[in-house]
Amino acid sequence: MDCLPVTVPVTILGGYLGAGKTTLLNRLLADVQGVRLTVLVNDFGEVNIDASLIANRDGETISLANGCVCCSIGDNLGLTLYDLAERPDGPEHILIEASGVADPARIAGYAGCHPRLCLDGIVVLADAETVQARAGDRYVGDVVRQQLAAADLIVLSRTDLLDASATRSVRDWIEAEMPGARVQEASAMSRLAQLLLAGGGGTMDMPSSSSSSSSSGKHDSLFAAWRLASALPLDGAALRRALAALPPAVLRAKGIVSLAEAPGRRFVLQLVGRRWSLEPEVRSDGSALAGPSEVVAIGLAGQLDMDQLEALFAPTLPAGLPRAVAVLLRQEDRA
Amino acid sequence: MAGPITVFSARKIITMDAAIEEATHVAVRDGIVIELGDLDDCAAWGPYTLDDRFGSGVLMPGLIESHAHLLDGLLWAKAEYVGPVDRHDPSGKLRSGINTVPGLVQRLKELEAGLKDPSQPLVGWGVDPSLNDPIAPITRHDLDQVSSTRPIFLLHASCHIAYVNSATLTLANYAAVKAPGVTRDSSGEPTGELLELAAMMAAIKATAADMIGGSTDAAQFYNFAKVAQARGATTIVDGGGSTYFDPAFLKAALVATGAPDFPARIVAHHNGITVPTAEEMIRFAASLEGKGNDKLIFQGIKILLDGSNQGFTGRLRPPGYLASGANGLWNRGPEELKTLVPALHNAGLQVVAHCNADQAAELFIEAVATAQAKNPRFDHRHFIVHGQLLDESLMRRMAALGIHVTLFSNHLYYWGEFHRAHTFGAFRAGAMNPASTALRLGLVAAAHSDTPVSPVDPLLTLWCAANRVTAAGRVLGPRERVSAHDALRMMTFNAAYLLHRDHEIGSIRVGKRADFAVLAEDPLAIDPMGLRDIEVQGTIVGGRVFGAGA
Ligand SMILES: [Zn+2]
Repeated sequence: MDCLPVTVPVTILGGYLGAGKTTLLNRLLADVQGVRLTVLVNDFGEVNIDASLIANRDGETISLANGCVCCSIGDNLGLTLYDLAERPDGPEHILIEASGVADPARIAGYAGCHPRLCLDGIVVLADAETVQARAGDRYVGDVVRQQLAAADLIVLSRTDLLDASATRSVRDWIEAEMPGARVQEASAMSRLAQLLLAGGGGTMDMPSSSSSSSSSGKHDSLFAAWRLASALPLDGAALRRALAALPPAVLRAKGIVSLAEAPGRRFVLQLVGRRWSLEPEVRSDGSALAGPSEVVAIGLAGQLDMDQLEALFAPTLPAGLPRAVAVLLRQEDRA
Repeated sequence: MAGPITVFSARKIITMDAAIEEATHVAVRDGIVIELGDLDDCAAWGPYTLDDRFGSGVLMPGLIESHAHLLDGLLWAKAEYVGPVDRHDPSGKLRSGINTVPGLVQRLKELEAGLKDPSQPLVGWGVDPSLNDPIAPITRHDLDQVSSTRPIFLLHASCHIAYVNSATLTLANYAAVKAPGVTRDSSGEPTGELLELAAMMAAIKATAADMIGGSTDAAQFYNFAKVAQARGATTIVDGGGSTYFDPAFLKAALVATGAPDFPARIVAHHNGITVPTAEEMIRFAASLEGKGNDKLIFQGIKILLDGSNQGFTGRLRPPGYLASGANGLWNRGPEELKTLVPALHNAGLQVVAHCNADQAAELFIEAVATAQAKNPRFDHRHFIVHGQLLDESLMRRMAALGIHVTLFSNHLYYWGEFHRAHTFGAFRAGAMNPASTALRLGLVAAAHSDTPVSPVDPLLTLWCAANRVTAAGRVLGPRERVSAHDALRMMTFNAAYLLHRDHEIGSIRVGKRADFAVLAEDPLAIDPMGLRDIEVQGTIVGGRVFGAGA
């Protein structure tokens, strides 16, 4: 039997009431790309999953044929999460729908309530039509701003109801209000799972087409992935510098890498918008594994500048190897 | 067949009824007051037994704690009280506050020595380093002096913080717990302080798992009633959040409160806190109709609008919290509240709204105004719980809409200085919990402890409303002080009115229940600063005598 990594990544999905969280969740559950996901929702009554996907419904829990589970947070999020993390047959990824008035940063604290859990990222939905007006509201203006400020990735919903210039102006407003924000339009996010989920238990789950510098598949023409592979360990300091300097067009990156500084074990890379982590791989039997390194960065086609990424990551490749050799080695990996 | 008559005598009976304000004897039959006056007046009803054990005491209507939480009873049952504030325990004994870290360590050592099983965790509650003198943090190093092997878990009075020793950190694998609320020292080691439930979860699971998740322990009900009874209460509110709609929990509650020796009445609000939607709240409330007993009554549905002021999570109008200008947290979204409140109002329920700060109160008032405009109801008695920053304008709107209030007067004493220095500043700290203005405007105002947040002690609460003195001795907003008589009325008749029980309790009057508190001194004759120290000699509930600490 395969030895599963023991860490379960947790994503927080925030955003004000009516921002489209449920719609996004339903889309995600319908196409979860093989990840065994559990979604904890606030308002169970609002969940509206296509009946053809449902395998079983039991009180406040819906089990889907694809292995995913959707259940109510109940009256104690900490307890619900803790018990979920204790289950041997538990999920590979957990997504928590924060209430419409919650501060997602606070909810994110719960992602560390059990030794097995770790925070993957905070994704906040904003209704493109109303977010600006709400941010000025007497009762909830501060709440809406707090939510946007907490986001690693801001997803704009309902842009289909606006013309291009109106959408542009909302984006400009968010970028001015929240410097450094990563903003994406929901309608452009096909294959949500690849953007929102870490992949099975934090292991690599690469886009089906992994050739670098090309968009990954026909119905994903909006979607692009860039890939780095190396048979030799990477330079950890250079990798951290590259991650910190990633352009906003990179919405998600995942990877498993070996680092020259720590031979004999691997590290798991997770990046959601502005947040990234590079942690030692934890395996349930406590073993460490050495191996080749792989990193995938995902973003929108047309926005992802492949040359820029090549240049950014070039210093991470083993020192002393001429760049041409490094490129050659990587091409061999790919073959 | 009518039962036997008992006549209770007292040095003085304070009736809190306008018709006849004083008496010396009260005749009781079948739990009901049948006469009030002197012994001759009572004798007119025929043969009686004279009970003069309280003959030198002062009898008054049983005190009513209008907002408290059953959790208090569970904490007494499952954990040792080791806080800095004096607190009466369920036996009526005063537990003196421990307000130094060495004192705390000493007390924990004594408790530790009494535990036989070396793996049994030592669980304490009520600690609050901000009330220690000197103010000093509690760390695992302090607690390791108590034991390096037995897990120790101490819950903060706010229930939002915990302190643990190294044994607990190891047992619960805190090396791998990544919650940001795990306070760490400069070397990255946990200090033993755990902030908020997310960080506390693993420690609770390892040491006190039976304290979360709907305990059906009978002791929680007894302790809850006993602590209040020892300080003169005959009725105490379980203020929302309990799951009486759960058959197992309801059964435990009915069995406990149904026993003849159960020492107080519990009025329980329906749960609008952990139940997510209006439809379910209404359904659960309806399912409990007619399900109570003589000492367990369901009334009102409790909803939460905001957080707590001392936790900086109450929703304030501008200018927000002192210095930072920050604002707190909504418990439910304003849009949701604007439909939830009318839905509950239309269902005929009494809405009991937790509004700690003024923006939450303003929103609730607007929601009730919307509900009343569409579907006017008379005598709904919706009321605000806490209402700490209500001002005259808000309260005039409340009066117009029929909204009343139970104020959190205990805050003036326990956190008055804290609010002045850290949350509200001088003016708003002086304006907190404005009981005098509320009464002047015709609101039916009561006051409460919100135990376990502050100790349940109705005499202390009415002392707070009458004196408005902080722990440091400063008087906050002297004009908002109320007379001893008004303070007594807040904790009796007014509280009964809020609970739709004023026809039965809240004053001593022929036809009402024989629920009395017996005090050693006359609260209307002494300096109001002495109100909190009055000795309680016992209570009488439905004619049955419960001695102090019964
Ligand atoms: Zn409360």
